Amino acid sequence: MARVGVFVCFCGANIADYVDVPQVVEEVKRIREVKFATEYKYMCSDPGQGMIRDAIVQHKLTSIVVAACSPRMHEKTFRKALSDAGMNPYLLEVANIREHSSWVHQKDKKAATSKAMDLCRMAVAKSIANEQLHEISVPVTKRALVIGGGIAGIQAALDIADARIPVVLVERSPSIGGKMAQLDETFPTLDCAQCILTPKMVDVASHPYIELIPYSEVIELQGFVGNYKVKIRKKASYVNFKTCTGCGACWQKCPVKVPNEYNMGIDKRKAIYTPFPQAVPNKPVIDAEHCTMLLKGKCGICAKVCEKGSIDYTMQDEIIEREIGAVVVATGYDMWDPAPYEEYGVGRFKDIITSLEFERMVSANGPTNGVPVRPSDGKVPKNVVFIKCVGSRDEAKGIEYCSKICCMYTTKHTILLHHKVHDSHAYVFYMDIRAAGKGYEEFVKKAQVDTGTTYLRGRVSKIYRKGDKLMVRGEDAQIGQVVEVEADLVVLATAVSAPKDNPELARMLGISYDKYGYLSEAHPKLRPVETAKAGIFLAGCTQAPKDIPETVSQASACAAKVCGLFAGDTMKKDPMVSTISNEYCSGCQNCVKVCPYGAIVTDEVPIGYGSKELRTVAKINEGVCQGCGSCVAICRSTAITLAGFTDPQIINEIVSI
Amino acid sequence: MNYTKQIQEIAAKLFAEGKIDVFVGYRMNGFDDNQVPVLITGPQEVSRLVFTDKSVFNLVNYLKTDHTRRKRVGLVVKGCDSRSLNLMLTESQVKRENLYVVGICCEGVVDDAGRKMQNCTECMVPDAVVSDELLGTPSNIGLQPYAVNPDIAVLAEKPLPERAAYFEEVFENCIRCNACRHSCPLCYCAKCCIDQETATLYNGANTTSGAFHALMTWSLHLAGRCVDCRNCEKACPSHLPLHLLHKQNESVIYENFQEHLAGVIPGDRGAFYKYSMQDPDDFIM
Repeated sequence: MARVGVFVCFCGANIADYVDVPQVVEEVKRIREVKFATEYKYMCSDPGQGMIRDAIVQHKLTSIVVAACSPRMHEKTFRKALSDAGMNPYLLEVANIREHSSWVHQKDKKAATSKAMDLCRMAVAKSIANEQLHEISVPVTKRALVIGGGIAGIQAALDIADARIPVVLVERSPSIGGKMAQLDETFPTLDCAQCILTPKMVDVASHPYIELIPYSEVIELQGFVGNYKVKIRKKASYVNFKTCTGCGACWQKCPVKVPNEYNMGIDKRKAIYTPFPQAVPNKPVIDAEHCTMLLKGKCGICAKVCEKGSIDYTMQDEIIEREIGAVVVATGYDMWDPAPYEEYGVGRFKDIITSLEFERMVSANGPTNGVPVRPSDGKVPKNVVFIKCVGSRDEAKGIEYCSKICCMYTTKHTILLHHKVHDSHAYVFYMDIRAAGKGYEEFVKKAQVDTGTTYLRGRVSKIYRKGDKLMVRGEDAQIGQVVEVEADLVVLATAVSAPKDNPELARMLGISYDKYGYLSEAHPKLRPVETAKAGIFLAGCTQAPKDIPETVSQASACAAKVCGLFAGDTMKKDPMVSTISNEYCSGCQNCVKVCPYGAIVTDEVPIGYGSKELRTVAKINEGVCQGCGSCVAICRSTAITLAGFTDPQIINEIVSI
Repeated sequence: MNYTKQIQEIAAKLFAEGKIDVFVGYRMNGFDDNQVPVLITGPQEVSRLVFTDKSVFNLVNYLKTDHTRRKRVGLVVKGCDSRSLNLMLTESQVKRENLYVVGICCEGVVDDAGRKMQNCTECMVPDAVVSDELLGTPSNIGLQPYAVNPDIAVLAEKPLPERAAYFEEVFENCIRCNACRHSCPLCYCAKCCIDQETATLYNGANTTSGAFHALMTWSLHLAGRCVDCRNCEKACPSHLPLHLLHKQNESVIYENFQEHLAGVIPGDRGAFYKYSMQDPDDFIM
């Protein structure tokens, strides 16, 4: 007969304050199979685990129930304790009496205790039917995929490749560089962004361990940690990169003009273009939406002027497949569209611009050669009003969170304005100045003194036109009065928002995202770069708004995680996988369709013993199976069993309460 | 509706050309004006075939037998039958290339008393959706507004205890002969989950609760797949109103899963076997 040991944890006060732990212990002792039951303050601590190890030997236990926190937290810890005592680790059952009872029933101790007892009874009943299971070894593909070629993706790719692990870097636009390539200078040191970024971009292109696939998108990811298969759609560039020298004759002669995304639409680019002069790879692509040759079949100038004959109007999208073992997602962020701020006249007044537009203007390689101008008349502005928290910290119109970088980049903008237009004056409307970071507060203080910027604490309520000026009306909360500032130019520090196709990407990758669209980390404090899906990591703003130093740190952390994952030749895998009984399988293949991991394939077996005639049944690849149980639920013939969650185990649980 | 002559001609032609090994059709039962299914294996038997509004059974069910499995089969399908054939094809139970399907644009079939069957009065897909040859004039009615089955509507009016009592009586009359299962084209499992030795989940006893278990499991395994051909009801020796279970499922699924009707679209596995962004999720907290 089964001999079950039950160990109930106080979790400090987390459980003990709301669940009567001694009473739970008394209750489980009444179960016939329970030969030993005890309680302890922290079961996960070394003395707590020691109690389990000792009891296994002393009481000859055949299965163990630990009533504590979520198995996601400490199942591995306790399994190891079982192994250490010479017991099969899968004879452990965790009853989650913290998240499932004490934390959610804090107002009713009696009910919480009663529920904790039920959970323990269920775990005991299930553990009686537990079977010994053994870990599965699966081979690892030592190649990483990095999605997104901004500073996060670049850093992650370089760090992984430096450890001599091959990397596939996929970038959606024609060049890597991301948002950082659009910046002029970076806070708090005022390094030129291009000067520190472009060498890294060149390193990526020339690194022997990095395969750069620009102008492409990841369209499908299948498999599991260590053994993913990725499909990448390489968009038709209509330019043969192998022969193109990047001479530039094509885009100089191209007659079609299109708003330039790199310069936030302030100037125009051609239909065949490289996003910016320092682009990597420095090869042009044809924008199929605007090229008249592709749209109407008329023009063909670029093909005529290309000496190498690199232009190919018949080029098609191409699907590239790669086998990889881990993924770093670094898709960055979008700038929030300030259109809901109607009272500011966004869209009506030309001289209201966003901070990234301002950044492009003051950039040395920008559309105005580094001089800020008013979009309406091209004059150099004297009075510039910066409005912070446009969209950020605004539950009514924008987003609840703080975008983290706006305080710092607005400070930087006041300095850049001061540098470029010496007789200018900047006004900043702010809610708080958040300058937590190395050298940040000093930077803000120094900027305030050096530039003489007027800081006004309060929100702007309205902007209206007076002549060719804009009148900015807002509150100065420090003097408690409404103030009006005459402005030549208004710059909105728009919020950082999640890339709009993050949810779609998350679904494709099988990871979760939050209500704003940022991808979710596995644990906000202790696992900030991992996702809940093994082998997929997050770097940069795709997880939450952050500045460049933090982004780079996170990218390097991802690289460390990837290198750690690839340290061995094989990976151990939980044995909680499905198996299919050929006898019962009717071959309907519903399981093949529902399996999110592509772990089920079809197989041909004899229709009966010794028969030469074959019939089709489903077969599970246990290396790929993640034990989610979808196939078990979908199978009408109940031909599928999931180890660790067998029918007898589940029925025992149900019957026990 | 009488396609006897056409079907005889088609079957004779198929046998003559050597395209089929077996033809599944209807014949007169030999003692009254009702019909039974027949499997004929050669041109000499073609004259036995008939098709009128008394051709009530769903012949797709006979694709499960050893007489037809892995053979080239010709068969006659009405609208509802063709939907179940569609599901059989989707669920890899039969191969399309082994079949020659004579589709009927059905005008509705009648019961023993000569009344139009209830499912025919409610039919939304009278024309065969799978066929190599279509007999009759397509009604092209398209999808009509869904009408809740009148029996379901009546039951829904009743208070819960009364409904429970009604179904208790229904299940009490079940003799667990499994004729419903055998007559259903979509009950093709190698061994039914209810009969498995290891199936601790199910109550296999020949009692009211055992019948409840069996019939409820059965109806849920057919939810989103049942095409309302009523083969089960015709086969049931206890005359249980089995359509109540299926029609209830059908109406719930139609309402909640983008007007899903089983087997109409080739390759569609049914509401419960695919994931769609439009699926209702208001029950998730």
